[in-house]
Amino acid sequence: MNERTQTSGLGFVGQSVTRVEDDRLLRGKGQYVADIEPEGVLHAAFLRSPFAHATIRSIDVTAARRSPRVTAVFTAAELNELTNPFPPFLMMPGLYTPLYMCLSDKKVRHVGDPVALVLADSRYHAEDALELIEVDYEQLAPVASIADALSVNAEQVWERADGNVLLDKSDAYGDVESVFASADRIVTERFSCQRQSNQPMETRGSVIEVDPETGHLTIHNATQSSHMLRWLTAALAKKESVRSSLKNFATNKDRRDSFIVAAKEFMAQNGESMQNQDNAGPKSQLRKDRSMLRHLPRTLFGLLGKDDYPTVMARDIGGGFGAKGPVAREDIALAAAAIDLGRSVKWIEDRVENLSDGGHAREEDLTVSLALDNDGTFRGLKVDLVLDQGAYPAFPIGASMATQIMRVMFPGAYKFDAFHLRARTVATNKGKYVAYRGPWANETWARERIIDVAAKALGYTPTDLRLKNMFSDQDMPAAMITGPALDETMSTKKTLEHAMQVVDIDEFRDEQETARAEGRYLGLGFACYHEAAPGPPDYFDSISPGAGTLGTEYARTTIERDGSIVVYTSQMPHGQSHETTYAQIVADELGVGIADVKLVYGNTDRTPFSVMGTGGSRGGPLGGGSVKYSSREVRQQVIDAAAELLEASADDIDIMDGNIHVSGVPARGVSFADVAATVISEGDQPFDATFGYTGKGDGGWSCATHACIVEVDLETGRVDIPRYVVVEDCGPIINPAIVNGQVRGGVAQGVGAVLYESSVYDTEANLQATTYMDYLIPTAMEIPYVEVHHLETLSPGENDFRGVGEGGMIGAPPAITNAIEDALGPFGARVTDQYLPPTKILEMAGIIDPD
Amino acid sequence: MKNPPFEYHQPDTLEDAIQLLAVYGDEAKVLAGGQSLLPLMGLRLVRPSHVIDIGRVAGLGAISTESSGVSVGALVSHSMAERSEKLRTNAPLVHQAMPYVGHRAIRNRGTVCGSVAHADPAAEMPAVCRAAGASMIAVSSRGERAIEADEFFVGYLQTALDVDEILTEIRFPALAEGTGTAVVEVARRHGDYALVGLACSLTVESTITAAALSFFGAGSTPIRLGEVEQLLIGEEPNEAAFTTAAAAVRSSIEPSADVHGSANYRRYLAGVLTQRGLTQAASTVGVLA
Repeated sequence: MNERTQTSGLGFVGQSVTRVEDDRLLRGKGQYVADIEPEGVLHAAFLRSPFAHATIRSIDVTAARRSPRVTAVFTAAELNELTNPFPPFLMMPGLYTPLYMCLSDKKVRHVGDPVALVLADSRYHAEDALELIEVDYEQLAPVASIADALSVNAEQVWERADGNVLLDKSDAYGDVESVFASADRIVTERFSCQRQSNQPMETRGSVIEVDPETGHLTIHNATQSSHMLRWLTAALAKKESVRSSLKNFATNKDRRDSFIVAAKEFMAQNGESMQNQDNAGPKSQLRKDRSMLRHLPRTLFGLLGKDDYPTVMARDIGGGFGAKGPVAREDIALAAAAIDLGRSVKWIEDRVENLSDGGHAREEDLTVSLALDNDGTFRGLKVDLVLDQGAYPAFPIGASMATQIMRVMFPGAYKFDAFHLRARTVATNKGKYVAYRGPWANETWARERIIDVAAKALGYTPTDLRLKNMFSDQDMPAAMITGPALDETMSTKKTLEHAMQVVDIDEFRDEQETARAEGRYLGLGFACYHEAAPGPPDYFDSISPGAGTLGTEYARTTIERDGSIVVYTSQMPHGQSHETTYAQIVADELGVGIADVKLVYGNTDRTPFSVMGTGGSRGGPLGGGSVKYSSREVRQQVIDAAAELLEASADDIDIMDGNIHVSGVPARGVSFADVAATVISEGDQPFDATFGYTGKGDGGWSCATHACIVEVDLETGRVDIPRYVVVEDCGPIINPAIVNGQVRGGVAQGVGAVLYESSVYDTEANLQATTYMDYLIPTAMEIPYVEVHHLETLSPGENDFRGVGEGGMIGAPPAITNAIEDALGPFGARVTDQYLPPTKILEMAGIIDPD
Repeated sequence: MKNPPFEYHQPDTLEDAIQLLAVYGDEAKVLAGGQSLLPLMGLRLVRPSHVIDIGRVAGLGAISTESSGVSVGALVSHSMAERSEKLRTNAPLVHQAMPYVGHRAIRNRGTVCGSVAHADPAAEMPAVCRAAGASMIAVSSRGERAIEADEFFVGYLQTALDVDEILTEIRFPALAEGTGTAVVEVARRHGDYALVGLACSLTVESTITAAALSFFGAGSTPIRLGEVEQLLIGEEPNEAAFTTAAAAVRSSIEPSADVHGSANYRRYLAGVLTQRGLTQAASTVGVLA
């Protein structure tokens, strides 16, 4: 049965309130980076390597510099003198993170690697000038695949790495050897996921405005993390010596005091989490590369010594899916050039650049062994994971972090006695790996695939084998074998049971049999998962000790003098509907309407600090909590002030529809404007509260089961999806329509992952999909209707929201690939690749041979 | 993705346009709908110094019927062709191909003649021209000539047009009595270039008297398979004949592989499309045995 529960009284939370953003966006009134054009701005274009792997013997920019429309040409020789290298961040035990600069000097490491920056009066002229630059390359053997990277004969992408392996880390839970020795069966398969690309509708872009008087930078950027960009630009874009930074710091009292205040605040929030950090990470970094000791002090003291940090402004953003989280080499190069020239600069990434180095993801090989007994009981799981991060690690959160989230989440909603995962990250000559909506998603794909493989081997139905091994309510409280605590919010089993009612499996099997007799091949696949959204307090530290530091979200609520309610969030919306859902939460807290609430985001001068910005399905549970509680404090402030005005006790004051009144006498109420006008005076703003929120304390799991029905056409290899069902449980829903949109968008990207999208490189590491003719995004014609069913499992305590941004994409690839394997059952097909284009389908069915 | 500099010309008459081409020759490109040319220029893969926009040239926008068939002028967009009753009745292959040509926005700007002059081997129109036995009217300052479709497509993106010639018109001959036609294709997504496609026709007087099989996406040009067509002549239009034809197609084409499909896949698919296309063509004239 549907467990929908009324959680919100008569408020806005829980209703499909119309999106506040849409009126502006649909009328073409959105404001994107490309819309910003400061007077006299210079347009940037990057010269990019045509080779995957080569040394640069020489570079000649004389002709380009002579071009009358060109203001400046920077190569690494100039630009790298101005900037600090990208430092290692979140150093993990066993990980080596290569340091790198904005532009490549001695060597290029992928097709598209930037080697020069041209600034001209238009993008056209900038691109013309790129053709005047002569670079003498000497090609090196490319490292084009995981197999290349693991080969001992391969050329090294990074000189100081162990071959091309940047991380090799094994973790074991339980007695793995004895569990595997005593289990009745061991089912092993190797799964391989192709490289994919996040592909937001809007590419990356940055406009750096320089104030001619003060030199202050205002950076308009399509970023998911405006504060990170601000700090990184301050840290990297203008190199200063340690000596001069210290001098500045020592002689500027304001700077010093504000630093001390900020540091105290940070430690108060994060001190406990910081103590969990061990120094194994920095040690393994230093073993490989001691240059960090030289660069880090200069970078950190540089931050202390600066009086003026840039302002980052992000307005409307056309999606990111993780790709706009990192601070990119281009971002720092542009800022350094703008500072050096004292001129505003603009760069809008084109689609070829975006497909090449705007962010790739998911390229992982996973060898999975599932140990189980003949009665179907899961005993143990062993995983050998290799991730292809491409050449340059993304900053701040590199690909290796994804391997560790995969480690923690791999066991999923199932009980195991033992678990082992070896994670390797390898470098290749490809574009950079970034987080992509559910960055750990391949743990779910590989686990849900091996379960189907095992079900077939043992003669169980896929659903029976899952149900038998899943945690259920009776097991709670419990813990995943990898650490994180589980409670009733981990309701994956309930979502599966519900999905089994929605999809009548017996009826489907009859239909499948009838269809097969007619030469039509139908298949049904299930996939189940739970995700940390935000997860329990021990979640981040299970991934990497000390990573909990990233967790806090801040919001500030104020009432302005005209009575308007302004909420400032550290979240960085880029398509998730924060302006609507936060207005719903705040309106309920303050007893006002949706239109009365204004959300401020993206402007670092006005919004509270956050390392991460938007990512990790945290906008609802954490960001939502921060706006809720900051608004609640302001509500009390307003009630206290109104109590005096109305000559009543604060306990008797009620607010409804913006009317602040003594309970039961709404006719004699006052408005927010009345109270604000009376109480707020110059220099006295009593309606102002900031709240930092790290979650309600436990649980925080978002769960779902996806069920997919496919029809495979064995004449064309095309896969049709006549029915797609999602049963999701993200706890109490703020806005059902927005949740449905998030789920459906995620499923659409999952359809793309399996049937259409591949950032494929050839054996020479040349990217083969550099335009939308070759990188295929599914359109409305290819995306099935997605039925979304909601369960709303509640857990004790307030602010029980759980995130829902990523799950759609986590569940879809396993559900679809499981369905395809089921459809091809009569041919004994085994799906081991995530990417199943028509050719692959016919090969798996044995209809054609590989070329 | 910004094009390199070029000089833009916008002649008002065909005379002016061919004079410009006579002067600039292979330094010039003719622009009609721009759906292929402009992206290629943006990628700097095509770098004309002169672009001659014929969009304002009078007299090139007509679809007209003649006793010998129907002709399509150089400025007829795919959308105009799609809506044309004259083409639907007199050159049904053009009409049948239209749903596969790009998307609505592309069909609104792109032209039939532009697609043929661009000669992408995976595009529908070149193969339709070969199946229908169309003639291409090429005009230059030296005069006008007709080039038969079988002679027109000489290689990947290469045609028999000389550098000073404009393709002003395509003439589709009248259909013989008892002729059925079909266009079938499989693409990765709706609107993409074909993995393989087939434009075909069958003329039936109790048995098959003429057949045309014109494949796209199966080689460096659209391909007519004369030998397979010969196999069909004299046969009854039935499943057995089409199955034999499909097998013959598979053994006679040599498609290449790309990121969207292997060579074996395309070969297999060409057979499937042979079966589907011929069945459909026969049923349009109600002769499927």
